[in-house]
Amino acid sequence: MTADSEFKRRTVLKAGSTAVTATFVATRTATPAAAAQTESSVDITLRVNGHDHRLAVEPRVTLLDALRERLDLTGTKKGCDRGECGACTVLADGRRIKSCLTLAVMRQNTEITTIEGLARGDRLHPLQEAFIRRDALQCGGCTPGQIMSGVACISEGHTRSADEIREWMSGNLCRCACYPNIVAAIQDAAK
Amino acid sequence: MTVGQPVERVDGRAKVTGAARYAADRTLPGMLYCHLVMGTIARGRVTAVDTTAARAVPGVVEVFTHENAPRLTSEQHFMPLQGNQIHYNGQIVAITVATTLEQAQEAAELVRVTYAPETPKAVIADALAEVYLPANQEVIVGDPAAGLAAAEVTVKQNYSSPPHHHNPIEPHATVAQWDGDRLTVHETTQGVVNAQRTFATAFAIPQTNVRVLAPYLGGGFGCKSPVWPHSLLNAAIARQLGRPAKMVLARSQMYSIVSHRAEFWQQLTLGAKRDGTLTALVHVSTQQLSRTSENMYSHSISSRMLYACPNIHTRQQGVRLDVPTSRFMRSPQMASHFGLETALDELSYELGVDPVELRRRNYTDVNPTTGERFSSRFLLECYNLGADAFGWSRRNPKPGSTKDGHEFVGWGMATEAHDHSASPSSAMVRMAADGTVLSQTATQDIGTGTYTVFTQVVAEALGVPLNQVKVELADTNFPAAALSAGSGTIASVTGAVNAAASAVRTAVVQLAVSNPASPLHGLPAEQIITQHGYLFSPDRSRRESYRAVMARHGSPVQNTSTMTNARGYSTGAVFVEVRVDPRYGRVRVTRGVGAYDAGRVMNRKTARSQMIGGFTWGIGNALMEHTVLDRRTARVVNPNLSTYLLAVNADVPDIQAIFVDKPDPVSTALGARGFGETPITGVPAAIGNAIFHATGRRIRDLPFTQDKLLRELLTQ
Ligand code: FES
Ligand code: FES
Repeated sequence: MTADSEFKRRTVLKAGSTAVTATFVATRTATPAAAAQTESSVDITLRVNGHDHRLAVEPRVTLLDALRERLDLTGTKKGCDRGECGACTVLADGRRIKSCLTLAVMRQNTEITTIEGLARGDRLHPLQEAFIRRDALQCGGCTPGQIMSGVACISEGHTRSADEIREWMSGNLCRCACYPNIVAAIQDAAK
Repeated sequence: MTVGQPVERVDGRAKVTGAARYAADRTLPGMLYCHLVMGTIARGRVTAVDTTAARAVPGVVEVFTHENAPRLTSEQHFMPLQGNQIHYNGQIVAITVATTLEQAQEAAELVRVTYAPETPKAVIADALAEVYLPANQEVIVGDPAAGLAAAEVTVKQNYSSPPHHHNPIEPHATVAQWDGDRLTVHETTQGVVNAQRTFATAFAIPQTNVRVLAPYLGGGFGCKSPVWPHSLLNAAIARQLGRPAKMVLARSQMYSIVSHRAEFWQQLTLGAKRDGTLTALVHVSTQQLSRTSENMYSHSISSRMLYACPNIHTRQQGVRLDVPTSRFMRSPQMASHFGLETALDELSYELGVDPVELRRRNYTDVNPTTGERFSSRFLLECYNLGADAFGWSRRNPKPGSTKDGHEFVGWGMATEAHDHSASPSSAMVRMAADGTVLSQTATQDIGTGTYTVFTQVVAEALGVPLNQVKVELADTNFPAAALSAGSGTIASVTGAVNAAASAVRTAVVQLAVSNPASPLHGLPAEQIITQHGYLFSPDRSRRESYRAVMARHGSPVQNTSTMTNARGYSTGAVFVEVRVDPRYGRVRVTRGVGAYDAGRVMNRKTARSQMIGGFTWGIGNALMEHTVLDRRTARVVNPNLSTYLLAVNADVPDIQAIFVDKPDPVSTALGARGFGETPITGVPAAIGNAIFHATGRRIRDLPFTQDKLLRELLTQ
């Protein structure tokens, strides 16, 4: 089986699991790392994008690595793994957090929203639309984090001026430097 | 007409939903995780590696050191783990392999390495006696000594800039899988074709046995151009252990094994007549080289190409140090260009000539080094357009003349220039029986907009709507095409894409006019108009859709074309406003305008984004970016994003991009030239020049940090 066909098979599994809320078995073995359990592993349930995922992780596993390496939710990116770049930003009960700086075991009973959970079916979130319209992305490496951070920036009300947005979006680095377009996109979506 | 329009990125949806899969996002059944152990001395030998504790970590499958690592050679790089010699701090000294990432990381912490260290040297200042001139690094045009003797005014100054690290937001990642002697690699690479060759050579297998994919790349900026040794080691480990292997670099590891921009010292000597025309330009530079390579990547190209000057001397010296080998970094001209454009500003004050006017007086249509005429050049228009948009004519030239509250306000400018690369490339275009179009080529979209621009090119060549076209990139199963580096992607590959699409159009038109069942039957093929997915008769009285022609034909129409392209020179002018708070030496850039001649603009939206990105890199280089090397240990002191500062959102003001937008006649890319690196080149000098205008203080060492400016402001 080639890498690609395997990838497609998993995508199908994942798509299936979102249609039916609780197909635990499918998500649990989404990746080899998810299948690897050690003595210190603990069983946890993560609620991500409205779906419960049961998985066994060691307590040291970050939320970011649980999402990416266990649940195959790779939209959330790892840029630094130490809270400096913002690429891993997700929402936890509506608040923006850096998922590399929190452990998966600490985030049970939390409503986690990742970039994959923002659109409603085919309908993009207004900020996702605005990012495309304003060309607020280039390579896309920072983009999921920027958008999650931007969604929170809007709900926090930190959008009264371009300068205020600049300040409150400065925890999300963009090496392609789409900053003015990111500000414009957030202004659009905040309207 | 879609080429040139501000079309939205066709890969935008995948990128804003998280659906785009980058190399690190690949997970394969049975996959192992590799993690690197980095050395902690810069020079000497490894005497022992104790892997006992690392091997005891549950889940650890293997630990590789120089004693048991797979034997490999690299085409282009020093290959670690093949012996016990250490050539720079942060060299790979071991690799742990485990079932999970956490296990591999833990094991890496537990590897104990013992060294026999020697005293290293890391910075130019510590090795001045060892500065030398490598082969072919000196160019002399005319008689520079005579030119200086004939000068009425001379400016002679030293400038310097620190090492820089590329720091794409996506760290390097590689996922390798073997099937017998066939290898598939998901690689963070700016060039899948180059990568394929490098892997094939390392494993002595035919190139066709290697498939490299990089459909999405989270930024490259030069540090993902080559395949680095760690990727070869990861693939070798996958082969030896018989399981797929994944390796993602930690951010800190990106400061020693994926290259940097070298520390750069330079001296500029400009000789000029009173009217400002240059009589001589002497540019002597020195940059860091590694112990294992003499290659240099910061070139004084601007001094050789940009201004009319009959007598030019560039001398690019190096000094071998215990540091990693440097590499191209987004706009390799930046460092030398900073010296040239600052020296010109200094000359403008010596002469009392406006800085824009001084540059106009030294404008040339001819490459001063080769005597060749530039194929097209609208730099004078750039000066005019940029100066007008900025309001330059309102500038009071006197330094320190404008204050606003506590802050000094200053305006500065510089010319921008970058010579882009070009290489032969092939592309395939196929119209399916249902009329949809697929184009495939093994170049990349590293964030610059390649997917979108090629979609526009194919749609326009065929006369079909954008949504009828799908472009696929960065898979070595596709026709070979250019590396995405040196701003060369669009310039190198557009011609082939356009030629293939045009050939398909010709073939489909022929199918229509030659078939009695078509309403266009019998019309001369060359008179057929194609638009909106239809073929029209010249008077538009008759038409048939592509879809109908193809349905009748019943099978795809396909063409693969190859094109070469010429290198080109994209120039422009950048204007900036800064505000300096003299109490803290703090500089903020508050306005920026750039006007560019990049040939034809293919997509106004993505071109503008490239300009904003470049300008912002310029802000970073001017105000904050610098890699700090500890002189004792030759180690990077700030290998992370909280102390290697990049420009953040709050650092970037409103920026205006203006394009002359005139096609370059020698470009086969529909008149386009490469552009992505041009808009960085002049920004550091323009900011420094603006700081001088604001305060009367000249800083000649990048970056212009608060400590340096405060020192200047407090003396005299
Ligand atoms: S990966 Fe979490 S902040 Fe960078
Ligand atoms: S789009 Fe490339 S890092 Fe932001």
